This record gives sequence, C-alpha cells and structure tokens, in this order.
Amino acid sequence: MSDSIRIVGLQKSFGAQKVLQGVDLELPLGQITVVIGRSGTGKSVLLKTLMGLMRPDGGSILIGGQDITRLGDRELMRVRNRFGMVFQHAALFDSMTVFDNVAFPLREHDRKMKEAEVKRRVDAALADVGLAEAGHKWVHELSGGMRKRAAVARALVRKPEFLLYDEPTTGLDPIMTAHVDELIRSAQDHTEGLTSLIISHDMQATMRIADKVAMLHEGRIIHEGTPEDFQTSSHPVVRQFVDGKLEGPIQV
Amino acid sequence: MKDSISLLGGVVLRVVEDVGQYARFTMTAVLGIVRPPYRWRLLFKQMEFVGNGSLSIVAITGVFTGMVFAVQSDYAFGMFGARGLLGSTVVLALTRELGPVLTSLMVNGRVGSAMAAELGTMRVTEQIDALESMAIDPIQYLASPRILASMLMLPILCATFDAVGAIGVSYVATYTLGVNPGPFFDRMMWYVDTDDIWGGMLKSAIFGFLLSSIGCYRGYYARGGAEGVGQATTKAVVAAGVLILVVDYFVSLILAPMSVNRS
Repeated sequence: MSDSIRIVGLQKSFGAQKVLQGVDLELPLGQITVVIGRSGTGKSVLLKTLMGLMRPDGGSILIGGQDITRLGDRELMRVRNRFGMVFQHAALFDSMTVFDNVAFPLREHDRKMKEAEVKRRVDAALADVGLAEAGHKWVHELSGGMRKRAAVARALVRKPEFLLYDEPTTGLDPIMTAHVDELIRSAQDHTEGLTSLIISHDMQATMRIADKVAMLHEGRIIHEGTPEDFQTSSHPVVRQFVDGKLEGPIQV
Repeated sequence: MKDSISLLGGVVLRVVEDVGQYARFTMTAVLGIVRPPYRWRLLFKQMEFVGNGSLSIVAITGVFTGMVFAVQSDYAFGMFGARGLLGSTVVLALTRELGPVLTSLMVNGRVGSAMAAELGTMRVTEQIDALESMAIDPIQYLASPRILASMLMLPILCATFDAVGAIGVSYVATYTLGVNPGPFFDRMMWYVDTDDIWGGMLKSAIFGFLLSSIGCYRGYYARGGAEGVGQATTKAVVAAGVLILVVDYFVSLILAPMSVNRS
C-alpha cells in the first residue's frame, strides 16, 4: 500500500541565498503533480530535498506520516528504495550500455534475481519507452530524447511507489516533448498507486499531463489547483507565467 | 594586521574542513570494503585498470631507472675503487626507495588522475546523484573498489619495478660498464634481503591507498563543470604526489630500525 507525501514548511538556503522559504505541498496518491516556476526558483532543490539528496534547513517531508528529514543515512537509503528519479539530463551511466543502465537497479538491489529475469524485465521496460532495439547502444550514441526515455525506463524498472522527474522535456523538440509527455502519462496510468512529481516550466506539457499543478515563486508555493484552475487563475504571478508575458510582477 | 589574521584564519579553517571531509570520506570508503554488498566484478575491473594498465609504464620506468642509476653509481664507486658494491647498492636503493616511490608516482599520474577525472565527471553530470537516488552508497560503489584495487596492485607493480630495475642494473653493469659479474651478483645476493623487498611492497600498498583515496575524494567533491573537473584532477595528482614523498620519509623512519636489527 502506497503512502502520500506531504511537504510542510520546507526551507533550504545556500549561504545568504534563501531558496526554499517554507514550501507547503501535498502530493496526492496515484496522481501526477507538476511544480512549475521560473528557472532558478528552487524547483530542482525541492526535488533533491524530497529525495534526501540535500538536507533541508527546516520543515518536514512526511511519507505516510514519517518525517524523512530526521532520518539517518541508512534509514534514508531504505526510503529511497521506494523512489525512482528521472534527472534533467538523464544522468545515465556513460560507462554502460542502455541495457546495463536499465538493468543496474535490478542487479544492485535484487541480487538473487536470475539474469534471464533481469533481461525479461529490462526488455519490457525498454519496449515500454520505445527503445526495444537500442539496448546494445552506448549512452553517447543516443539522442536527447532517447536518453530521457532510457532514464524513464531505468526509473520505472523496479516499480517505484514515487517517481520524480526533473524537467523531463527540457531541450527536446516539440514532437519528442509530446512523446515523452505521453510516456509519462502512460507510465502513470499503467502503474497502480504510482505517485509522480514533475518539475517543469513547460506550460503546454503541464496542461497535458498534470492532475495537479503548483507554482513555486520566491521560495513558496503561491498557487495550486487543477490545470484548468491555472488556465483561469487571476493571480497576477500565475497569469504572467501562464501567458508568458514580460509585463507583470515577475521582473526579469 | 586584522585582515591578515582573518585571511590566515580562513585558510586554516578551509584546510581543517578539507582534512576532516577527506577523513570522513576515507573512513566510509574503508568501511565499504569490508561491508556487504561485495562487488567483485568492479574490484577485478579496477585491478585490471590499475595493475595491468600500468604494467608497461612501470616496467619501462623501472628498467631505465636501474640502468641510469647503474651508470651514475659506477662513476661514484669508481672514485673509491668499490665497483663491486655497485649491484648491491643500486638494488637496495631500488627495492627500498626507488621502487615504491617511483612506481607510486607513475601510477599516480595515470590512475590517480583518471579516478579524479572519472568521478568528477560523474559528479558534474549528476551520475553520482543518480546512484544515491537509487539507494546505492556512491562512496562504497565508486571509491571502495578503487582503493582496494590500488592497495592490492601497487605492491605487485612495485615488485615488477624492482625486478626489471635489477635486470637493467645487471645488464648495464656487466655488459656496458664491464663490472666483474662474479662479485657483482654475489654481493647483490648477500646484501639484499627479502625484508627489503617486503618493506618496499608495504610502502607501495600505503602509497596505493593514498593516491586512490585522494583521487576519488577530489573527484567525488568536484564542482562547476569541466573546469571544476580539471581543477580536481590537478589537485588530486599534486596532493597525492607530495604526500607520497612526505609519507615515504616517515614510513622509512619506522622501517629503518627493523633493518638495523636485522644486520
């Protein structure tokens, strides 16, 4: 049985720069939540803090009522086992083939799994993302879109409860963006109880895949709701961001 | 004056912080060697990289060091009419000092730099974050096999250096310099003890630990893209090179009384 994630008053600073200044957000069970915001507003920091890759300065991250910000390194490792993550630039291991990248979490964590079973699951994961024929390729032989899809396959292969995406469509052409969006939606629909968080500033993609949208601005969530709420919101910051206008409260 | 003190304080703080971070990193890596999971495949891969990959440069360095050392020593011993001591003196120097130190410095240039660059690149491309996100201890996965492989392979490389160095000395002394082979080999066998070889191999294992742990540490904490990786690599090679020479002195001080007791 999966748990929902609740973020309460999360704070993170780097020196004098306050990046997260009290983020409150709930990720509903089995849904895709997209956090939008301008570049440099701390979206990736929020993601890495949620994963335990960065320690917050204050606040809580509650998974099924357990505050993971207070866990030690070993306990945090166990919590991370429940997560999958797709990094902004895929972060595939360039010393391995695509197949070995996807097989890596299985071989590391399910050490007793027979190689035939590993192969079966990796082949299935690669087929799901449309890379059935690319398993033998090295990472440097892949296009940007193929890397993202391979990263999705790697994140999904162990069937995580929570899947985090850091700007999954950045740098892709519109067709590949639509393809990756469809892949994310399909992964969500075909994985029971999967709770996803996507960091993005792509409004079109957000409208296509989100169940819930939250906007991060100046270290806080200033607005949250359904994609439709965002389209009709009268909040000046949201309005400027959604419409992509230069005039408004957000100064460039 | 106040500014100078504050500047000095800042430097001292940074050094203390760096040493503390290195100690913590190394401790985690060493614990990672003894703690499961054991990744034999990674260990053998690193042993092949450190050992087999360095064999040719170590052999070439060893043979030419022995040869040039023979030429220079012959000149010096010739002034005192003690050319018969050439073999034993040069081979003692090779096994006790030159073997472990030069082997480690050569391997540091090749392996220490590669470890720093590889881990640094993994850091700046988020591959280390990816490991962590998959609930894998990145220090145990990346640093532990590299450190253990270096500690296992450096003594073997050092022994290779000693052997080819001795061959180089023997060739130059007996064929080129015309030293009488009888006394040459006789004294070499008489003065050079297995303890000298073991001592050199022990030193090289320590140096292997130093160069690999520093290389991994610098790479692991690299920041700032390609430039950061470059800086981390340079720092790793320089720090390990200097530390090998410093630590060599102290290890020699510890090993010297054992040699005295033996004689």
